[in-house]
Amino acid sequence: MSTNERIIEARELTKTFSGGVVALDRFTLAVRRGEVVVIIGPSGSGKSTFLRCLNGLEEIDSGSIVIDGIPLDRHRKNRLLIRREVGMVFQSFNLFPHMTARENIDLAQIRVRKKTRTGAAETTMNLLAKVGITEKADRYPHELSGGQQQRVAIARALAMSPKVMLFDEATSALDPEMIGEVLDVMRTLAAEGMTMVIVTHEMGFAREAGDRIVFMESGRIVEEGDAERFFAFPREERTRAFLGQIL
Amino acid sequence: MNKLFHMPAGVRRTALTDSGKFFLLAGLVVWLLTLGTQGMGYHWQWYRVPRYLFTTAGGVWKAGPLLQGLGTTLEISLLSLLCTLIIGLTAALFRLSDSFTARALARSYLELIRNTPLLIQIFFVYFVVSPVLDIGAFASAVLALSLFEGAYAAEILRAGIVSLHRGQWEAAHSLGLGVFDTYRDVILPQAVRRVLPPLAGQGISLIKDSSLVSTIAIYDLTMQGQKIVAETFLAFEIWFTVAAIYLVITFSLSFAVRALENRMNGLPIRGAGGIA
Repeated sequence: MSTNERIIEARELTKTFSGGVVALDRFTLAVRRGEVVVIIGPSGSGKSTFLRCLNGLEEIDSGSIVIDGIPLDRHRKNRLLIRREVGMVFQSFNLFPHMTARENIDLAQIRVRKKTRTGAAETTMNLLAKVGITEKADRYPHELSGGQQQRVAIARALAMSPKVMLFDEATSALDPEMIGEVLDVMRTLAAEGMTMVIVTHEMGFAREAGDRIVFMESGRIVEEGDAERFFAFPREERTRAFLGQIL
Repeated sequence: MNKLFHMPAGVRRTALTDSGKFFLLAGLVVWLLTLGTQGMGYHWQWYRVPRYLFTTAGGVWKAGPLLQGLGTTLEISLLSLLCTLIIGLTAALFRLSDSFTARALARSYLELIRNTPLLIQIFFVYFVVSPVLDIGAFASAVLALSLFEGAYAAEILRAGIVSLHRGQWEAAHSLGLGVFDTYRDVILPQAVRRVLPPLAGQGISLIKDSSLVSTIAIYDLTMQGQKIVAETFLAFEIWFTVAAIYLVITFSLSFAVRALENRMNGLPIRGAGGIA
């Protein structure tokens, strides 16, 4: 599914939080167009920080990030450009509570992509159909279940027609019976060839949907590799210990 | 009263006993008032008051000085309310800005205004600023009042803005929305809903504080009352009437805001961002 063209190039990223915690330690990762990269690792290993650096929600201390040819630097304009091309799904959904599902998805299309209301409405209904909740279009987030909220959030990110989708523990806040419906949507996206970087604890999903697994600890890559190989024959001792704990 | 005192479960309260208690209390207050005024030998002349409210000479209804003053008070209050919101919002955004200059500017404004008396600010604007800007007493009054109330409104709005979950900003940013769009579509609609009650309280303060503009020769409600008292010595009747008029307008404002709040509460403002 993936090509050889690199759509994300992160080189030598370092990030230290004010408390002295090292979140990223010369972290380098490239993602090819259409590739699904799953990042796993113990909590505090810098997985989420890496995702948040990719669209500028978090500032890196040093290193370089280039996404689809655009460098993420101090220029506000580039940052906005990158954010338009990179969709993000959060653990806590972060839907806008004062807007209906439909309005949540409309907003960026109208404000950022400068679409007309009718143009946006069509895309919105298509996306709601895609995530399977057309009937909830006019409901407010608090009227939806966690799984439904997260699917609206995915639709909202997709409304920008992003080139890359980032998933930051998208199922961690969900009740177990709702995890499946969100993973299904993510599976569909992966099958359609969307470039995805996913931070998750769902190992079954990682193995089945991921092209490549990256195991992180203390801001560094411990081991990475093809999904099947990674789970079947982990090379590093640390990886085996981690997988042993959670599988 | 049900709300005021916690009653153990099982005690039955009816509207009848509640209103009975209310009227008993009100009666007590009136009785004490009468007792007090009798004690100082005040001669009440309420019948002389209506002509200062309005006259109907020759079948033509005409507003008296008190109602004319009310008109001025309403005019000043409404204009100042509008300016207060604009100034308050600007100052709040400046305080939250990334720019050091903007933050310092907002900070100085807030400290200066909140730590000096409004009366002095009104004098300052009227005697020092207005000749420079070449504005009249009315504009000076509106300027001074909005600068004063704007400082408080700014802090209320800022509190509302920072109370929102960080995820709201992040979601907006991740969609590529700029700062302006984020404030307009995502942050402010939620923040304003949260701070509507204290903001309304500030509006009520503004109406009451507007009585201070009588000191710079503006014939508002208070000034008119003062003038009538000076001419007629009907001190208690006129001041009570003036107070009652203020009460009516502030109460109407509270009522309007309450209605607005109820309407907005149909929409969710809590539980922002899924997991709270």
